[in-house]
Amino acid sequence: MEHIGVRETVQFMGLTFNWETLCMTWLAMAIVIIISCLAVKSLSIIPKGWQNFVEIIVVWLHGQLENMMGKRGKMFAPFIVSLFLFLLTCNLLGLIPTLASPTNDLNTTLGLALLVVCMVHFFGLYFKGGHYIAHFFQPFPPFVIINMIEEIAKPITLAFRLFGNILAGEILIIVLLHLLPIWMPIPSVLWLGFSIFISCVHAVIFTMLSMAYLGNAVKE
Amino acid sequence: MIELNATLIAQILNFLILVAILRALAYKPVAKMLQQRADKIQETIDKANSDKKAAEDTLAQYKSQLADAQKRAQEIVDKAEITARQEREALVAETKKEIDRMKQNAQLEIQNERDRAFDQMKAEIVSLSLAAAEKIVAKNLSSKENDKLVSDFISGLDKNMFEDAN
Repeated sequence: MEHIGVRETVQFMGLTFNWETLCMTWLAMAIVIIISCLAVKSLSIIPKGWQNFVEIIVVWLHGQLENMMGKRGKMFAPFIVSLFLFLLTCNLLGLIPTLASPTNDLNTTLGLALLVVCMVHFFGLYFKGGHYIAHFFQPFPPFVIINMIEEIAKPITLAFRLFGNILAGEILIIVLLHLLPIWMPIPSVLWLGFSIFISCVHAVIFTMLSMAYLGNAVKE
Repeated sequence: MIELNATLIAQILNFLILVAILRALAYKPVAKMLQQRADKIQETIDKANSDKKAAEDTLAQYKSQLADAQKRAQEIVDKAEITARQEREALVAETKKEIDRMKQNAQLEIQNERDRAFDQMKAEIVSLSLAAAEKIVAKNLSSKENDKLVSDFISGLDKNMFEDAN
């Protein structure tokens, strides 16, 4: 963003798209696909290199899925693994000069959050049917109001948490560069280091919360 | 800063395409490899356990065989000892019998020698007595009558006199 808050848009078939967000998303997808290709190029019993990295992530997420969702968790593994790798790459992309995170756009985070919440409700109804609807009225019928507020809050908080953190991080990078002279790079460097940590943490948080919400709906 | 437009739908579609690609490209091979590794480790552990059990069985078998062999060897040694002892005793008894026999033979021979010596002495005494008697007695007797006289005299002597001298 050359000017903070201004996004360049394109029109296509009467619809408006944020062009930078789309390009960065495609770039992030390409990076994730390339890493995966490198990982499965020569699979060996003793993993090394990219295979090791991807396997660490897959094994960790398998463990969490089994923890939170029991036996049905295995079917969500590709979705969750893709979500984690995609978010990690997106968040870290913005720290590279002249590039931006796709997740600094509310469209991206809200899209992902709505996707997750729709999946939660869909699979809740699919696996539990009437019980799923009934649990909104536990322990007393008036609780349905509180449960509804919670169900609406879930995608909103999920989206805005990630959006706010990543956008604020990017804005501060620009502000620090404008505020400080060239011979005082230390605060910028410190903020960049912290942003790397924050990017990883928020990828983990989004993924864990998605797993928790899915677990609520799917666990026996 | 916050404007929602068609990018929302585009991002959802982008992400779903990514999930499909990653599932086919990366997730399936990695999951298969993880399963393979877990199976291989389990197989190795099972094989190690069964090998250990087989080794323990073989060791127990060898130990029992060794104990058997030792017992049999001990039996053989005991039997040999008994046989040797019996043979030795037989040999000793045989030797003792031989010694007794030799002793008896020697005694018989001594007795014979003594009798011969006695007879010889008898004859010498007869001739000595005759010679002495000839000198004393004036009458000249014939040899045959002389022998008979002296022989009777000596026979009359107690044989015990000579035997006590032993």
